[in-house]
Amino acid sequence: MSSRARVARVLGIDGVPILIAFVAVAVYFSLAVPSFFDADALRFYLNEEVPVFIITAGLAFVIIAGGIDLSVGAVLGLSAGTSLLASMNGFSTPLATLVGLGTGFAFGVINGFIIVKLRLNDFIVTLGSLNVAAGLLVVLTDHVQIVGTQDGSYLAIANTSVLGVTSAMLIAVATVAVLQLVLVKTILGRKVMATGLGQTPALIAGIDVGRVKYFAYILSGTLAGLGGVVLASRLNSVQPGLAGGYELAAIAAAVLGGVSLAGGRGGIWQAALGVLLLVTLKQGFRLMGVDPLVFSIITGLCILAGVILDRGVRRLALSLAAPAPAVTDNRELAPAMEAK
Amino acid sequence: MQSTSAPPSGVAPTEALPLLRMTGIYKRFQGVQALQDVELVVDSGEIHALVGGNGAGKSTLLNILSGLTKPDAGMVELEGTELSLEHPRHAQRLGITTIHQELSTIPDLTVIENILLGQDSALSQGSSLLVNRRAVAKSVEPLAREFGISRNELWTPVREFGALKKRAIEIVKALAVEPKILILDEPTSGLEDHEKSLLFDHMRSLQRRGVALIWVTHHLDEVSGLADVATVLRDGRSVIRTDVRKLKPRQLAGYMFGTEAAELIDTVMPETAGRANMMEEEQPRLKVEHLSRAGILRDISFELRAGEILGIAGLAGAGRTELVRALMGMDKVDTGRVEVAGKLTRIRHPRTAYKAGLAMVPEDRKQLGILSEFSVAKSVSVSKLSSVSRGGLLNERLERRLARKYIERLGVKTPSTREKIRNLSGGNQQKVIISRCLNTDPRILIFDEPTQGIDVHAKVEVHKLIRDLAVEGTSVLLIASEFTELISLSDRVIVLNRGSLVGEIDNIPQRVRDEGFDSVKSAIIDRSSRVEQ
Repeated sequence: MSSRARVARVLGIDGVPILIAFVAVAVYFSLAVPSFFDADALRFYLNEEVPVFIITAGLAFVIIAGGIDLSVGAVLGLSAGTSLLASMNGFSTPLATLVGLGTGFAFGVINGFIIVKLRLNDFIVTLGSLNVAAGLLVVLTDHVQIVGTQDGSYLAIANTSVLGVTSAMLIAVATVAVLQLVLVKTILGRKVMATGLGQTPALIAGIDVGRVKYFAYILSGTLAGLGGVVLASRLNSVQPGLAGGYELAAIAAAVLGGVSLAGGRGGIWQAALGVLLLVTLKQGFRLMGVDPLVFSIITGLCILAGVILDRGVRRLALSLAAPAPAVTDNRELAPAMEAK
Repeated sequence: MQSTSAPPSGVAPTEALPLLRMTGIYKRFQGVQALQDVELVVDSGEIHALVGGNGAGKSTLLNILSGLTKPDAGMVELEGTELSLEHPRHAQRLGITTIHQELSTIPDLTVIENILLGQDSALSQGSSLLVNRRAVAKSVEPLAREFGISRNELWTPVREFGALKKRAIEIVKALAVEPKILILDEPTSGLEDHEKSLLFDHMRSLQRRGVALIWVTHHLDEVSGLADVATVLRDGRSVIRTDVRKLKPRQLAGYMFGTEAAELIDTVMPETAGRANMMEEEQPRLKVEHLSRAGILRDISFELRAGEILGIAGLAGAGRTELVRALMGMDKVDTGRVEVAGKLTRIRHPRTAYKAGLAMVPEDRKQLGILSEFSVAKSVSVSKLSSVSRGGLLNERLERRLARKYIERLGVKTPSTREKIRNLSGGNQQKVIISRCLNTDPRILIFDEPTQGIDVHAKVEVHKLIRDLAVEGTSVLLIASEFTELISLSDRVIVLNRGSLVGEIDNIPQRVRDEGFDSVKSAIIDRSSRVEQ
């Protein structure tokens, strides 16, 4: 194999482009901003993004299964509210956690039911439940910030220090790792990939497409619940509008990580790398003293550039690597390859 | 098929200047030599078949001629003048028009609007910027009538026509600009047998108009009797330019694939003797009673025996695919009873169908068959993931071993088990889909147009495979629009007509021996097309 083909092959592996982008950005900032690698600051900012990591993992699962879940951010906020209120009202920590998870689970079931059983458009359905969840949080908090629980064990969920990192960060890492394993190592994960590649062909191949999607929405909802519990535990306060817009960060991260919105392509750890890249950019620009308003423009541009680059790299990999068809003359070329 | 009207034409390039001469054409794509020193010489007024298996380079050559692709080297001469084709429009202006395999008419526009599309400059008379549709319609009318399109139909949206009419519309559209060369890329794809013969009539009348036809095809049986000359491509090289009328299809196949395949093509009727005992079994493998679905299927009852190949015949829209979809649990039915091996089985979902011992190789492989991003290994295991997992966890080693087993058994050509299925040729993709079905140990295997869009060689292999499966005791339901395929494979044929089962013809091999192939074929056509109340 020529070195060109070898380069192409490496670039063609899922996740390699995002990994390169992440390393490049990290190296740049560490050179440009000496304080970039300050351990405390890094830990602080990563800890801040834990909920986004968690919902990105769940959302990536749904996207890979060929769906979309816009409600994750709002459901996360609502679950934070129900869970914290439960704890404030004397529920034990396991019960309060269960209330948060249950809130997310319920939204997952509702989303899944309407999308799979009633066959309605996933985008519209989850946009609807986004608004329902956000509205319920306003009702729940009665327009004000609610603070906070006296139960130390509840606050310990996110804030326990373990081996130099917080328990929240461990929860995020565990979530990403478990979901990645489920996706690539289990029968269920394989069915998710197949469903995302094409519902009808997957159905014809004997896969219970509906059940797979239903599961994905429930998983995504429950993980939003988990994210809510972690967030409430870290902040010990909840206010209306909490976690608003997280779903957009999660979608951006997943897409940056190479998860195809068309479904069937990408992985959970790549999506998590997408979050890391976004966090690094945010942190780097913050340290360079870039105005937060300008910063959102830069992030947006980075997402666009990332997606365009990703596609470019994919094409490059296709055109350099043999066998490479699919781009032009697939049907004609494939057997010619075999003849060699 | 007979060529009565075909004027004689030269075999070796004639003394006179040929209409088109392409010489020394080279084209390389992404590290693959698609064309190598290819020569194509076409005289005016001839039907020139360009044949070759998948991957032979037909499409690439055609794309060069229609201005879509530029060759790396080589010369294209039209009536002795060297051309450099920059753009499809450029080629069209020079008189080279292509009708692509995929229908390219726009469904919601009328016939006349479709004809006008993209060629307004050629049709708008004088300097007027406005196109006078009525004037154009008037000028196109005689031409259209020749191809079976009435005046009223010119003003009808294309959506309302069948595949054959759409082809005719494309021909009229192409002829409206008076081309010297008309390229037809697999024009019979999507057509029923009787429609094909009408299309061939159209092609003959094109010839009478003096238009040179370049007919790209891999259906050898269609070539003889219609084409005058054939250029055979194999592995990107032009193997021979030959007079078709002096050749038998198997000789052409010899040029296309080498001699081994030519022998396969002559495979005769299946040996049913070995299966007779199996089919005698008391219990039918599948028993369908009163299956109905409003407006689609009407009270269909039939039986399928062990080791039997049951053909399902019917015109497009007769309900063949709908019937097997219902059996597979893809569509809900209103009434009906299905017994598998004597056991009442309620199939509400393909998953339950697979569990009950059914499996299906669907029509339209690209859209419905393959999961394009899956590797060969993943594609083989997908319908029975438990076969490659331990305790719910997938085992890559088992999966690759399983894939290798089927690659060997079915002769799948793939660089490795990790290759994505979309990179395989059509025939090999189909073999992978069949592998995936076999992996579920089906007792009943449904094939819906199993050789659609795959080359002759792969087709022969698929046919052999279907017969072998039946000999091993698998029951087969076969939908095939091509009569040769349907009749040569089936033991028995049931005929559907607008959702109803209207007839059954048993003992097909016996009948073919006694009465001949054509008699069986017309019996089927007769039942398929009869209009009953």
